Amino acid sequence: MTRHTQPEPCAPEQVTFELNGDVISQWVSPATTLLDILRGSGRITSARAGCRIGRCGACTVLLNGQAVPGCLVMAWQVSGGTVETVEGLAEDPDFVQVRDALATESALQCGYCTPGIAVSLVSGLRQQQNGDVVDLEEAVTGNLCRCTGYGGLKRAIAVLTEASSET
Amino acid sequence: MELKPQPGMAGTGVLERIEGRFGYATDQHHLPGLLHGAILRSRHAHARLLRVDTSRARLMPGVRAVVTAADVPGLNRFGIVVRDQPVLCEDRVRYEGDAIAAVAADTVEQARAALEVIDVDYAPLAVVDQAETAEQMSPLHGESNLLAREAFERGDTDAAFARCEVIVEHHYQTPRQMHAFMETEGGVAIPDNNGGVIFRVGCQSGHRDAEQLADILGLKPSQVTVEATPTGGAFGGKDELTIQPAAGILALQTGSPVLIHLDRFESCRTGIKRHPVSMIMTTGCDRQGRILAHRVDALLDTGAYASLGPAVLENFLDHATAPLYRIEAYSVSGRLVYTNNGVSGAFRGFGGNQATFAVESQIDALAEKLAMCPMELRRINLRTVDEPGSRGQVVRWTAPPSNVLAEAGASPLWAPAGSDLRRRWLTGTGMAMGAQGNGLGDGLPDSGGGRVSLTAEGRIRLEFGFSDYGQNLAEAITCLVCETLGCVAGDIDVVLGNSRGPDSGPTSASRSSVLIHGVLADILPRWNDCVRDQAAALTGLPRDQLHSGPGGLFAGGRQVLSYRELAEKGQPEQTLIDASQAFPVAPEGNQPVGRYLQLQISTVARVAVDRLTGRVRVTDLHHITAAGRVIYPPGYLGQIEGAAIMGLGMALSEDMPTRQGHYLADNLDQYIIPTMQDVPDQRVDVLDNTPTTDRFPVRGVGELGIEAVAPAICSAIEAATGIRVRHLPVDAGYLLAELCAQEETCS
Amino acid sequence: MSDSLSNLNPVTARRAIRVLRPDSPDQAVSLARQFSASYTAGGTWLQPTHERDQCWPETLVALNSSWPGFRGLDAGPNGLTVGALTSLAELARQALIRDYLPPLAMFLNRVAGPGVRTLGTVGGNLIVGGDLSALAMALDVRVDVINHTGERALPFSRWLRERASDDLLRGFTIPDCRGWRISLEKLGYRERFSPTRATLACVHDGDRVRLAVSGEGGLLRLVATETFVNDRADLASGDVGAVIDRELAAHGWQDAHLRMALRRMTTELLSEVALGT
Ligand SMILES: Cc1cc2nc3c(=O)[nH]c(=O)nc-3n(C[C@H](O)[C@H](O)[C@H](O)COP(=O)(O)OP(=O)(O)OC[C@H]3O[C@@H](n4cnc5c(N)ncnc54)[C@H](O)[C@@H]3O)c2cc1C
Ligand code: FES
Ligand code: FES
Repeated sequence: MTRHTQPEPCAPEQVTFELNGDVISQWVSPATTLLDILRGSGRITSARAGCRIGRCGACTVLLNGQAVPGCLVMAWQVSGGTVETVEGLAEDPDFVQVRDALATESALQCGYCTPGIAVSLVSGLRQQQNGDVVDLEEAVTGNLCRCTGYGGLKRAIAVLTEASSET
Repeated sequence: MELKPQPGMAGTGVLERIEGRFGYATDQHHLPGLLHGAILRSRHAHARLLRVDTSRARLMPGVRAVVTAADVPGLNRFGIVVRDQPVLCEDRVRYEGDAIAAVAADTVEQARAALEVIDVDYAPLAVVDQAETAEQMSPLHGESNLLAREAFERGDTDAAFARCEVIVEHHYQTPRQMHAFMETEGGVAIPDNNGGVIFRVGCQSGHRDAEQLADILGLKPSQVTVEATPTGGAFGGKDELTIQPAAGILALQTGSPVLIHLDRFESCRTGIKRHPVSMIMTTGCDRQGRILAHRVDALLDTGAYASLGPAVLENFLDHATAPLYRIEAYSVSGRLVYTNNGVSGAFRGFGGNQATFAVESQIDALAEKLAMCPMELRRINLRTVDEPGSRGQVVRWTAPPSNVLAEAGASPLWAPAGSDLRRRWLTGTGMAMGAQGNGLGDGLPDSGGGRVSLTAEGRIRLEFGFSDYGQNLAEAITCLVCETLGCVAGDIDVVLGNSRGPDSGPTSASRSSVLIHGVLADILPRWNDCVRDQAAALTGLPRDQLHSGPGGLFAGGRQVLSYRELAEKGQPEQTLIDASQAFPVAPEGNQPVGRYLQLQISTVARVAVDRLTGRVRVTDLHHITAAGRVIYPPGYLGQIEGAAIMGLGMALSEDMPTRQGHYLADNLDQYIIPTMQDVPDQRVDVLDNTPTTDRFPVRGVGELGIEAVAPAICSAIEAATGIRVRHLPVDAGYLLAELCAQEETCS
Repeated sequence: MSDSLSNLNPVTARRAIRVLRPDSPDQAVSLARQFSASYTAGGTWLQPTHERDQCWPETLVALNSSWPGFRGLDAGPNGLTVGALTSLAELARQALIRDYLPPLAMFLNRVAGPGVRTLGTVGGNLIVGGDLSALAMALDVRVDVINHTGERALPFSRWLRERASDDLLRGFTIPDCRGWRISLEKLGYRERFSPTRATLACVHDGDRVRLAVSGEGGLLRLVATETFVNDRADLASGDVGAVIDRELAAHGWQDAHLRMALRRMTTELLSEVALGT
């Protein structure tokens, strides 16, 4: 395939990145959002469009290990990177810990916001393991939840914080 | 007793939800041949439609169908109470969310691109954007912009006011709150290859929606199916049809499944909101504090279409009578007017919490004037359990109101909060009470059914027509069934919200739990008898020695037959038992119907007000609820906590103002709902003195938590600053200006 | 394993945007000129803005944080240099920030949310008049700017006045402010993750006080208020009152209640820096 020296407005580009352990490659316009790529892939439903402007956190995924809103990441920024969603975290010890805390403390109702919250908490736990001081309640301030009033989430975070201070 | 969440009681579907594989309405992307739909909305808040030309749109790449009003096969109208809202507007648009045309295309992008080239000529009409003057403006519908006017009277109010020693009169205003469910409206319509359509959509009443959709699509009721689909929140905002009509028409036209998912911009613009209420309340009492007279004059902005407005008005007025308090004479009246300010309709609280905000503020105002403790004033006036309700109806309380008040008085939050070093934060504690009825209310037929059966795999299947959008209904059902049958959660299958299953009525008005409990109390014993009969026949043991338990039937302490064996060897078809129940109403046709089963809450709030900026932080909330038995503690707690935070948002930051009929907020950066760091620690104490003989020991708590939060917060703000805020959401700037004025007079 | 995704179905009209990825800052400048394109750093300001108006630029020029000087912190004799493409999250984690700007790390919790801070850059924030711009203004930072005429360093406030469309921000240098007293305050609509109503920065270099504000009324160095404050004997004495109110009103801060809040916030921050808390 010949490369345009002056790209045509609509020229799609090949974006290659690692998604939950698989290398995937897709021809897209470079400004396409990661959220659209993931949902359009047909294999990711955990990242959701709640606002598309970075303001709700329902689209949160891990990009190179850090929680980001997928609606604000453009395809060109993902190239060569690693993306993780809850679909790929089932065996991840941090995720398992987060999942159990959310479940036992009933930190969810409709659950629409929950994968995004779980990803933000996993990111927070990983940062803590890297020696950063991270308050998990701060780690979820970018995730809106309309059902629960965050009561169960507060209790789940208390459980996680206690667990991490013990280790 | 403080309600603890009881960790470990994770319900069904919880792991699926956390892991993102719960299959929401808007996740249905892999249907073969799926098309994407998009809807053209009006550019104007009020205009005549002169021309809608779709010829260019039809030629756009990927476009499969473009439809306008002319393509609506059946009735081009919908609405739960009054069918007055066009599916696709014919000749007139009445708000900026009105739908004019819809497109189905291979991709969303193509569908949206096609919308761009639909040519519409409008002739703008005068915009009715002030509820106050709406009745003088040319009507949106029929003869007048007055959609409804209703009044409740009791005694001779004028005479009672004449005897009052103290009278307070204030104006109150509540905001146009948005539901802001995290999953915006959406779902799919799938042609069934027999001329009918199957809908998988986020909704609140499958049966009712199916009826309306059949009329719109010109189909027989049997040709429309609404299937249960997990929904990312509703709160009343998905009670009316949303995208279903357009998706259905497009599906019929193209013969392919069509998915429509509104983005947040479109959701904000088109979705239903809470009715803003402007009201004047006048309340008077004698020297001892006995409330003698109460008058309310209210105006509700219902927007462009009726939706559930008339029912909201009725519920508002009921709450405006101050149901908790014994008042000799009242005259409460309200008007509901059409405007071009969007559409208002059902929202958790349903008009009631708007009224309670004002009523409770009035009580505080009286106490202030009498120089009496506001809780003492409440105590004097609270009804007892033996008295009838405010409208003369029989009432079943679950605890004496004075006990609920007394617990609020004993809250630890009354202890003064420690002050910060620099005295920047002014702290204060306040409280308010609220009452709430279960059920749809006056004049609306209200009944619901459910079904139990043994599946071929030997599972006990419970079916109800309610939709699950996060209220843990399945968990509550499972708990009740386990309790009655002695089985375990693993034996049970709960199926919710299919319009082909039993009709339970809408998932609203805090009615689900009441009906579920009532129906289960009817069908489970009958089912149990039937199963024991079959087991007796199979095992040869006498029926009386058999009872159901975990995994199967037991005799003499050991399992003699598993449910699976019973299903294989017996006749599971015959175990199907259906029942329907009228919603419990007061006996002997005693009106009003929806006010029989009453719940109460008192909320104590502690706030900190920033002396520098006027912003308010709610630091603690303590609720005392009397709402019957707790079946599933995490669900109960979650409902109270979640509703309370919606009330907090309504009190402090949420509003959808309009200018010239256009909403001034279009997404979640402009419409501000609470985050994790905006919410206080909450505590819920449950008071349950429901008599053991009460046939309705379980009540619905979906709306109770929002009832008293806003007035409690405003009462706390007053305790902190001496300033009473009567217009919501609290304007930090106003509070600051008042604080400054106070300081100037002090110094 | 390689796998191709099918059914890609983006829902916004972004297909028509091209994103150019220059190899060097100079090439970035020339592409920006050639296509009248805007730069994109984290893209966190740009994307919501264009999603809302659905009016996208045809071309974006992507900036690359591996270009020399564009990312990270460097303490030198002139002070602390910060690369424009340093993310807000990285900034909060830097030990050097605790030395130079102690209140900043905590303050950053109130700027956007964690995910946006991971993507959004410090340079982007300064350019859009974000929460850090008031601090940069009050600190009198010098910016390092590249355009087709070459590279130059100049005060931030001057750059804002004379900024050209192809100006590329490499970074900025904060004077050696260790030992200065710095106070910051943001007023939003809620406690976290809130659009800014006003952010106020107050800097005391041991001799004089400097004040700047950003938010609804725009970025503003409060020159008149500073003069008033610096001319009086005791910083913390009384209210800056009418002076700041007049200055704000004259520069686009229309909301009288917001000005009232700023006036009281200023008094508070002044007494904080005066007391050294
Ligand atoms: C949900 C959300 C919440 C937010 N909350 C806040 C908040 O609380 N406070 C706040 O201050 N901001 C907030 N923002 C705005 C924004 O994210 C931040 O200001 C961020 O720091 C901007 O950086 P960016 O790299 O993403 O900018 P971009 O969007 O990439 O760029 C912004 C502008 O600056 C230009 N630009 C960027 N870098 C350079 C450079 N090096 N040289 C020349 N031009 C450049 C771009 O051309 C563009 O015009 C928020 C944004 C979102 C989406
Ligand atoms: S969809 Fe990305 S933050 Fe809301
Ligand atoms: S659980 Fe419904 S939005 Fe969080």
